[in-house]
Amino acid sequence: MSEFTIVLDGIAYGMVLFIISVGLTVTMGLMRVVNLAHGSFAMIGGYVAAVAVGAGVPFIAAAFGAALVAGLTGALAEVLVYRPLYRKGELAQALMTFGFTFVVIAALTAIFGTSIKTLPLPEYMSGLVDIGFRMYPAYRLFLIAFGLALALALWLGIDRSLYGARLRTAVDNPRMAGAVGINVNRLFQLTFAGGCALAGLGGVVGSALLPLEPYYALRYLVLFLVVVGVGGVGNFKGSFVAAISLGVIDTVAKYFLPSAAAYLFYGAVLALLLWRPDGLMPARSAQ
Amino acid sequence: MHTLVQGIRILFVLMLAVGPAAADTVKVGVIMSSSGPFARWGEQFRQAIEVFQKQNGKTVSGHTIEVIYRDDGGPNPVRAKQLAEELILREKVQFLGGFVFTPNALAVADLVTEAKMPTVIFNAATGLITRKSPYFVRTSHTIPQAARPIGEWAVKNDIKRVVTAVSDYAPGHDAEVYFSKAFKAGGGQVMESIRIPLATTDFSPFFERILQQKPDAVFVFGPGGPPTVGLINTWASRLKPAGIKFLGTAETQQIDLPKIGRSALGLVTSFHYTETVDNPLNKALWADLVQMFGKDTVPDLASVGAYDGMRVIYRAVEKFGPRVTGDQAIGLWRGMQFNSPRGPFRIDEKTRDVVENIYLRRVEERDGKLVNVNFQTFPMVKDPWKEDNPE
Amino acid sequence: MNPERSRATRSPPAEKPHAAGWGHLLPWTAALAFYFLGADFLGLGTNALIMVLFALSLDLVLGYAGIITMGHAAFFGFGAYAAGLCAIHVTNDPVTGLLIATAAAGILGFVTGTLILHTKGVTLMMLTLAIGALVAEVANHLRDYTGGDDGLHGIRMAPLLGAFRFDLWGHTAYLYTLAVLLAWFALAWRIMRSPFGRSLDGIRQNVRRMRAIGTPVWWRMVAVYSLGAAMAGTAGALSAQTTRAVGLTALELLASGTVLMVLILGGTRRLYGAFAGAVVYVVVQDFAAQVDPFRWMFVIGALLMAVVLFLENGLMGIIDFAAARARSLWREQTPR
Repeated sequence: MSEFTIVLDGIAYGMVLFIISVGLTVTMGLMRVVNLAHGSFAMIGGYVAAVAVGAGVPFIAAAFGAALVAGLTGALAEVLVYRPLYRKGELAQALMTFGFTFVVIAALTAIFGTSIKTLPLPEYMSGLVDIGFRMYPAYRLFLIAFGLALALALWLGIDRSLYGARLRTAVDNPRMAGAVGINVNRLFQLTFAGGCALAGLGGVVGSALLPLEPYYALRYLVLFLVVVGVGGVGNFKGSFVAAISLGVIDTVAKYFLPSAAAYLFYGAVLALLLWRPDGLMPARSAQ
Repeated sequence: MHTLVQGIRILFVLMLAVGPAAADTVKVGVIMSSSGPFARWGEQFRQAIEVFQKQNGKTVSGHTIEVIYRDDGGPNPVRAKQLAEELILREKVQFLGGFVFTPNALAVADLVTEAKMPTVIFNAATGLITRKSPYFVRTSHTIPQAARPIGEWAVKNDIKRVVTAVSDYAPGHDAEVYFSKAFKAGGGQVMESIRIPLATTDFSPFFERILQQKPDAVFVFGPGGPPTVGLINTWASRLKPAGIKFLGTAETQQIDLPKIGRSALGLVTSFHYTETVDNPLNKALWADLVQMFGKDTVPDLASVGAYDGMRVIYRAVEKFGPRVTGDQAIGLWRGMQFNSPRGPFRIDEKTRDVVENIYLRRVEERDGKLVNVNFQTFPMVKDPWKEDNPE
Repeated sequence: MNPERSRATRSPPAEKPHAAGWGHLLPWTAALAFYFLGADFLGLGTNALIMVLFALSLDLVLGYAGIITMGHAAFFGFGAYAAGLCAIHVTNDPVTGLLIATAAAGILGFVTGTLILHTKGVTLMMLTLAIGALVAEVANHLRDYTGGDDGLHGIRMAPLLGAFRFDLWGHTAYLYTLAVLLAWFALAWRIMRSPFGRSLDGIRQNVRRMRAIGTPVWWRMVAVYSLGAAMAGTAGALSAQTTRAVGLTALELLASGTVLMVLILGGTRRLYGAFAGAVVYVVVQDFAAQVDPFRWMFVIGALLMAVVLFLENGLMGIIDFAAARARSLWREQTPR
């Protein structure tokens, strides 16, 4: 039954990737900004929660508080950093967001120091749970449940609501959306802040799998970008499928062929992208 | 502005030099990582150096010892060599020190030889480094030096079957080889040697694989830094319940223990420095670190490497004065011994590498704090790599 | 798409021929003058020149052909390892090693280019990134050859052209690097002003139109990608030969990111943008790291953001502005 455990592990890992990346796919699809700063928001969330938990705030409260801080930082950054970028080319966007990431890293290092930051899990998450055939870490079950709940909430919020309809319109055709009276700027800001808040949340709940450190924002950026690219820019369902697939591929590869795992992960990315250049589930505008 | 100050300083020094009581400034260039993901190393170096200078004074027989810090930003041989050039040519340093990473130390080897620059490696731990320049000495340890003793110990203590799981990079490979060699020599069986990709942060698939093989213990060499916490927690949740013991080297450093938490209790590791070693130098080092840099500051291998590195440099200035040459310094350092916070310390006469105790320690709780506590000492261990690879 | 966005992808105004003459003289004179004036900093200078060449190679790929790559360091690192291994196992003649490394990186560029260049945008970016990661992993695994994480060391170079020893002060290294840079620059300058270069401009701006007029778009892209790879390989080889060591960092994503930053900072599609960006980046990094090694990232980050916000064409924007001012002053003072 170990194989089943491995798949569970892979799904849990994929959920973390999904929670953090989903905001990136929406912002890259919606605002068409090459956003290299997304990891910063996850990092901000993680650090804020680490401080809060250290001060005695319960884990879940700290997680949502951190998401709020990350979201507000995102809203502010949207005005100060991203808005001037909409009219500029992809290169300026890459440079600006890269610079922003550097500033965030330097600032967080200055405030919190250079050592490792950990978020101790609450008692009820750090134990083991009997899942029928063996004992399994409660934390990973929590990740899977949390990721599924989030995916469901997003599905209802984006595929089944007026806000979602507007958002999809704006992603697929921003000019038309503006023409039919959607305030695209407000939509941008709200969505961006939401994406950043999700990243912050992911940074907190995923901190046992993607540990917090001064270089977090750069080190894991690749993973988030890969999820977005493989899933299809602008499609959160694509990100879900891509994150889970890559999480499972990576974990299974490590289990069966530990030494070749690094090749297999990037090999899979290469193969998937060559097979489906627009991602597994391209947004309509990308076609 | 900087050059002006420098000019005035040089003038000042020259004026003093012609006077009867000549006092010089001896410059020590320290190349370390103080930005980027490994910034902690630079911080630990600098703090230990400042403690050393507080305890021993900033002057040696009237000559000021000035430490010039340079940041290499991580494993980056190109930058390390450029910084070493600048320190030697422009700053006219008399000693080089530092070097967190092996590639950076190797990159300056030829330069150091050409410039006859006495160079003290505070950390970089690949066996062959000191071979690469006759002007290198080392005050840290080598990976084989730390990994072999725990292999010898394990096989004598009811551990007969082991899986090794090391990070897939050069230091990990060395640890795997030297642990396995000692373990097999004692009659143990290495069931599998797993190499974990360096970027890994989720260790569960590897530990699941190990769980299937039911060894007595797993020998781990982690990538260091943040993933260590996940590494040990994953062991605690997957392998510990099945009774599979954890053997390691640098995974349970004091600086990381509070972050790892109680999962670390009972872990057995072998290393050259244990923070609870009972000697006055070690207590003073820790006390001064806390006094100068806050209550959470703790000494680790970086601190002790830099601290003893400074001791070595001070000794050379004491003996030969401010105009000490590379050959004089190296001549003095060969065979030098003194007491270090880690315990007795010697620089090998022939290989210029460190000879020191390797301690087997276990993580315990003392006064509500997790610490490593020694339970066995392998006295004055030499680097096994050099024995296996004679010149 | 947003019509305003195309503004940034427009070509800069063609330089007037007489201005270009003077424009050429300045950077090269400065580089040569540095040799005499900055004797204590030749190591830094050499690394800056290598960075210029590396950024220049990216300008061909990204600036001219519009291929956004996050894996360009693969070619730099491949060239570095090729040159290092060549020096250790084959011949330690620097020029031979340089040519071999250049060819090797060019071939890698050709092979990977044919594989991925039918894609575009984020997909292409991810593909270059994945290839970069794979190459880095190979270098880490082949420890017997590359030294893995310990780095490749023990490189000893023969005197350049049999006459000039690589000295401790870095005199030979600096001039050697400068000469190689000049040669590549001249070639790149010619190529980018040839019909081939113009067709790249067209491809970047409107692929469909170029296809319609019968340009073999894909082949052109592969050609310029290989050319950029070869040039990056030369830069890597120079780094290996002058440092006498290579580390895995040469291949890492951060190296790809850094060169991207340097080029955009300086200004793309100018060739000289690479000069401005590399020199400013290397100097600022060196200076900030000395003043406060713990916070240099803040300085660099703020600099990058300021450039995007205030300078449309990167640092070259300042030079354009200064040149325009100078010209108008000149005109005012010259009676017609």
